[in-house]
Amino acid sequence: MVVTGRRASLRGDQWFSLLLMTRLLGTAAAVLLLIVHRVTDHDGVLAIVTLAWAALTLTAFGRSTALRASPVAWAVDAAGALALVVASGDWRSPFYVFALTTLVLPATTLPWRRALACGLGFSVAYGIAALLTRQLPANTIANTIRLETLATHLLVPVMITIALAYAGELLDRLRRERERAEQLSLQAERQRIAWELHDSAKQRVHAAHLLLSALDGRLVDGQRTVVDHAVAELRGATADMETSIAELRAPVDGRPVDDLLRERAAALGRAGGGRIVVSGRLPILPPVVAAQVYRIAGEALTNAVRHAGASRVDVILGHEGEGATIRVADDGAGLPDGAERRGTGLRSMQGRAQTIGAALEIGPGEDGRGTCVAVTVPAAAPSTADPGARR
Amino acid sequence: MIRLLLVDDHPAMRTGLAAVLAAEPGMVVLGAAASADELGPALNRTRPDVVLLDYHLPSSDGLVLCRVLKRSVPAPGVLMYSAYADASLAIPAILAGADGLLNKAAPAKDLYDAIRRVARGDRVLPAVPRDLLDGASARLDPEDLPILGMILDGTSPAEVAATLRLEPRDVSARLDRMIGRLRIEVPAATGPFV
Repeated sequence: MVVTGRRASLRGDQWFSLLLMTRLLGTAAAVLLLIVHRVTDHDGVLAIVTLAWAALTLTAFGRSTALRASPVAWAVDAAGALALVVASGDWRSPFYVFALTTLVLPATTLPWRRALACGLGFSVAYGIAALLTRQLPANTIANTIRLETLATHLLVPVMITIALAYAGELLDRLRRERERAEQLSLQAERQRIAWELHDSAKQRVHAAHLLLSALDGRLVDGQRTVVDHAVAELRGATADMETSIAELRAPVDGRPVDDLLRERAAALGRAGGGRIVVSGRLPILPPVVAAQVYRIAGEALTNAVRHAGASRVDVILGHEGEGATIRVADDGAGLPDGAERRGTGLRSMQGRAQTIGAALEIGPGEDGRGTCVAVTVPAAAPSTADPGARR
Repeated sequence: MIRLLLVDDHPAMRTGLAAVLAAEPGMVVLGAAASADELGPALNRTRPDVVLLDYHLPSSDGLVLCRVLKRSVPAPGVLMYSAYADASLAIPAILAGADGLLNKAAPAKDLYDAIRRVARGDRVLPAVPRDLLDGASARLDPEDLPILGMILDGTSPAEVAATLRLEPRDVSARLDRMIGRLRIEVPAATGPFV
């Protein structure tokens, strides 16, 4: 019997509590009946065995979630309970409730059809145990009441199993629906923020940029510096917003940085951004580090294509132990200086690098042409321990 | 004097553009429309030489409006103005009949320049990279490819119809279909409740 992954989360504590509660009740009922009402010649021994067996099974299931999901463990548990029924000498046994509690785990863990099969199996096994006790009514006409009692004993397990399995399915469905609703509302919220950023804030920034740029040629030198600074800041704001919008629309969500960078390179290439070659592989990075590394490298790519007008960009990925290195080298116009320099997102790249404790080097390319951005992420970036600490 | 009509859904952009364009000699802004509904009346009232058209509008989209504008008589020059004006938007814009495509991040000088060139009858379009053209071709029916080639080359739809011996109406319908296939989805522009 295979436990489906869908139900795996229900091996949690809620169903174990139900087992604990019912088995304690069953044990108490059995032991009290044994003590108060003489059942067999060996009531004392049986009571001690019952207590020991109940303690053993509950401890085992309580300690190990693997056992709670193990059909072998369920079978052993049921066999033990049925052995107690046989030992009590009659199928109308003080151990009936105790035996029923062995159905809790299979009924709540398996899909309902298999759970039902378990319930039927239990009834058959109980029927066999009843035969072993040799207490079956021989004369049907004289024993209508006993027959009816036997039928009840055999039907109750099936009904309990169906009820529990149904409740389990419902809870499971409820949980999944709730998760889906949360996911959807999160997505809707992200979409809304991205839409507001794009449709309102970004348009205003574009308008402000346009207005300031219209002053070009009508300014004296002192004013020009100020306006140039303002224009550079506005360009930076647009770039920041584009990054945020991209993050909101397509969050990194734990995907490998390699794949994301290759996709980004392909998209930029399609958009007319020259030839972008991504080579090498990165180690698996913690999610927070991965997101920041992707944004830094993505920003470097965007800069190379949009601002430096590069015709070829090489992205070289590598790893040093568990750390990662990323080099983005282009053959473009190289780094601008002064006010321009701050507008191209370099500051936000520095900020991101600091957040994850990575080293960021930005400088001219190897032969003095173009720009090379190198990010080195240490093996155990501080953000893995506490992502918020450095912000 | 170049007569201009602005179409943009954002008030900041409309007032900003109006101020910037008013400051430039040789151009006059006759009106501004915020949506497709306002465009028709504004167009009849103003009869502009050049329409500065936002690519992404909330209810309709710039491509559809561009087709409408280009079918009106006399057809104004259309300069598409977008926050995402990279080469991938160029092919649908050209098919829709736009005379120009300009990024909203461009400085005012570039805007004046683009408006003047569109008013003169020139095309102000980014070069279409080879791979983008291949990508677009792959998404179109083979019989539409001659139309794509001719339109990208600057042939008017009427001439295309004459060359291919098609009804102008058929060419128009096929252009609409091609634009529909090549439309670039910009997720943020589709609104929050999609």
